[in-house]
Amino acid sequence: MAKVKVATFWLEGCAGCHMSFLDLDEAIIDIAKAVEFHRSPITDIKEIEQVDVGIVEGSVGSTEEEDVLKELREHCKILMAWGNCACFGGICGMRSTMDKEDALRRGYIETESTYQGKIPHPPGVPQLLDKVKALNHIVKVDCFVPGCPPAPEAITYALTELLAGRIPVIPIQMMRFD
Amino acid sequence: MNGIILTINGKQVKGKAGSTVLEICEANGINVPTLCHLKGLTDVGACRMCLVEIEKERRPVPACTYPARDGLVVQTSTEKLEKHRRLVLELLFTERNHLCAYCLASGDCELQILGYEYQIDSWRYPYSWPSFPLDSSDKHVMIDHNRCILCGRCVRICSEKVGVHTLDFGYRGWKDRISADLNQPLGEASSCIDCGACFQACPTGAIWAKSSAYRGRPDQCKKMRSVCALCGVGCEIDVLVKNNALIRIDSTELAGDRGVLCYKGRFDQLYESHQGINTPLLRDDSGKLKACSIGNALDEVGEKFGNIVARYGKNSIAGIASSKASNESLKAFKKFMTDIIGNDLIDTIDGDEYRTIIQGATKFRSGAGLNIETTLEEILKADCLLVVGVNPLESQQVAGSYIFRAASQGKANLIVLDVDKNPFGFHASTWLKPTKGKEELAINALTKAVIGKLSASNAVKAKENTTSLGAMNITQANKEAGIDVEDLNNAAAMLAKSKHSVVVYGKDILLRKNPKLITAILRLASKSGKQNPKKPRVISLKPRGNSRGAWNLGLANKKEFSLSGLTKNGVKAVYLLLADDYIDDTKIIDGLKGAKFVVVQASYSSPVTASANVVLPSPTWAERKGSYTSLDGITKSTPKLTQPQNNIKRDEDIIRGISKRIKISDRRS
Ligand code: SF4
Ligand code: SF4
Ligand code: SF4
Ligand code: FES
Repeated sequence: MAKVKVATFWLEGCAGCHMSFLDLDEAIIDIAKAVEFHRSPITDIKEIEQVDVGIVEGSVGSTEEEDVLKELREHCKILMAWGNCACFGGICGMRSTMDKEDALRRGYIETESTYQGKIPHPPGVPQLLDKVKALNHIVKVDCFVPGCPPAPEAITYALTELLAGRIPVIPIQMMRFD
Repeated sequence: MNGIILTINGKQVKGKAGSTVLEICEANGINVPTLCHLKGLTDVGACRMCLVEIEKERRPVPACTYPARDGLVVQTSTEKLEKHRRLVLELLFTERNHLCAYCLASGDCELQILGYEYQIDSWRYPYSWPSFPLDSSDKHVMIDHNRCILCGRCVRICSEKVGVHTLDFGYRGWKDRISADLNQPLGEASSCIDCGACFQACPTGAIWAKSSAYRGRPDQCKKMRSVCALCGVGCEIDVLVKNNALIRIDSTELAGDRGVLCYKGRFDQLYESHQGINTPLLRDDSGKLKACSIGNALDEVGEKFGNIVARYGKNSIAGIASSKASNESLKAFKKFMTDIIGNDLIDTIDGDEYRTIIQGATKFRSGAGLNIETTLEEILKADCLLVVGVNPLESQQVAGSYIFRAASQGKANLIVLDVDKNPFGFHASTWLKPTKGKEELAINALTKAVIGKLSASNAVKAKENTTSLGAMNITQANKEAGIDVEDLNNAAAMLAKSKHSVVVYGKDILLRKNPKLITAILRLASKSGKQNPKKPRVISLKPRGNSRGAWNLGLANKKEFSLSGLTKNGVKAVYLLLADDYIDDTKIIDGLKGAKFVVVQASYSSPVTASANVVLPSPTWAERKGSYTSLDGITKSTPKLTQPQNNIKRDEDIIRGISKRIKISDRRS
């Protein structure tokens, strides 16, 4: 049987979701047997190729993240939002309750440890979006695995369902918003 | 009688007429999700989670506000309804900020639980990203409007159960938010009594207590049923405990009749208020109190007490207990004084108040005891309330809430008889302000006015018993007492026509140490409308958490008891059981000066422990299993909530330790 092609992406998030994935322990061996990893922070492959499943950790907070997400959507059959940032905006959404410029000033100039700070604006550096967005507010998302990070069993459940050809809906007892 | 039959989800269920559809569902174990509904409060249909389909209704209706009728055909869980509920939840989640990962309610939030139940794994609607300011101005409670779902539970509990109506809605539409006292920061809202009912009622993280924030979720804590012993209301509480610390205290009957707590009961006990005593202390040769082992301390007390009795006789040791101690501690203390030492030189710190009440009651009716008083619950049934010489909001806040509740539903007239310094007077429909020291005259004048307003036959009967009032000239008396005649007549009319009047008196009256005042109050009550003349509805707000318990156990002396008088007349040693009371009463401290040997058993360092020869540790309310009797005579118990430091022993164990060591061989009678 051909292996399922999977790409995992790390957008605006803390890598906690990927850590939780590595936390699957021995379950990861069975999954690894059935899948083939393409672009992923784990493989360090940078190219976006055509895959079966695209898994995204993190919300969308910058122009670059928006572009990457759209590109992935074009290259995957099933898109899975992974973790609270991807599903809802999550911790990264915190900055959306303030003005974008205020957030930049706070981050680059006013932080206690910053000396003579400056907001970077060189060409090529992605710009912040006005508000942080959950994936489904930009592209169509096929399934969601909430949690901050999602519990390893929720990840196992979601991947196992996908490998079995079903679109997973996380069961109540595995739902986490925090 | 009044039974109705409905068909819910295809099954016939019975219910009572006058219920809502939701109430009937709940009574029959049919689960309908709710958010804005809180049992005991008026339902308003704000959240739309409880939507149900009812035959012949064109659209789904909220079950919580829909009156149940005979023959209704109801569906509680159709595909359409579940779709609606999902939509409601998604709208609630996106309307404000519900990113749970940084919310202190996470794990203890009704919105979150419903989010899980409905498997809300994403939100379809645009977020509004609100940035309402956080209101942390209050000492105990903070409001984060960004987590509010505008269910109004806080607003309703504040007005319907606490009775102060501090909270309401302010602004409109998107900007709608909870507002205190017409948009004051909560900490500056003068009507707020800091009781924390809003915190307990809030289903989300919008209202939270600083004392409990981030200290543990309910599922990480042990929950124990207990009773607050800080005042005589004796509120039943649920205590959350984690890592041997009190995390949170809730009222047990959320929005039930006794469903509120005060700031003391809910918050104050979460903080250590005084320096604790964790080890016995013994005064050494240099005159300093030094830590010692419990064995040494008990040896010293046993030996000294034994010697003193041997030398000066059994009447040379006096005992004083605080009525804040548990019934178990008090019982052991009394037994020690009567059986081991063998005298009745025993009193409670609030003995004066006891004697005032008892002497006053006996003068009203011979043989009357504390049982002559009514219960706090009667306040809720009252149609006329007279509050004399006390601000319940200060001394027994929850009793104050009862009074507000009875008065605010337009059911009861509230009369206050007290000096114009008592802010409780502002809530009264009639406020009689006697000159200080003229309360008795004022009460008697009111009694006479009430009698004058009773129906003819009644008045005659009444007059027979009150000949002493016969000679009183009301106008003259009013003038002397500084009472407004019109106010007096108003108050008298209300009392005379009442069917269920209740008189509440407290602190300022008791401090006067004048039993005649109590007699006058009882007599006034007995003439006020429909009453049992032998047991008129009167209740005294007693000074301490277990005053009634201590008095019932006979710890308060029937005779006058003065510490300085006793030490002048042969008392050499004093044994004080303070438990977790903090006493800085100069009368007691001065009284102790005359004693040679002072033993204080206490949880906290105080000026009294500082003047002791031996200090014995005593577990606090939280650190021991015990029972307490409310001011209206209801005894409730509490388990040991936390482990005391150094495994401090219970008062009764320490007392037993002294008893064992004391050698009173040469008993002189
Ligand atoms: S209030 Fe409840 S739903 Fe909202 S963020 Fe807090 S825990 Fe989550
Ligand atoms: S603060 Fe809490 S209780 Fe009050 S309306 Fe908002 S969510 Fe409801
Ligand atoms: S009213 Fe009294 S018993 Fe009730 S919580 Fe307050 S202090 Fe405790
Ligand atoms: S519970 Fe009925 S509308 Fe909120």
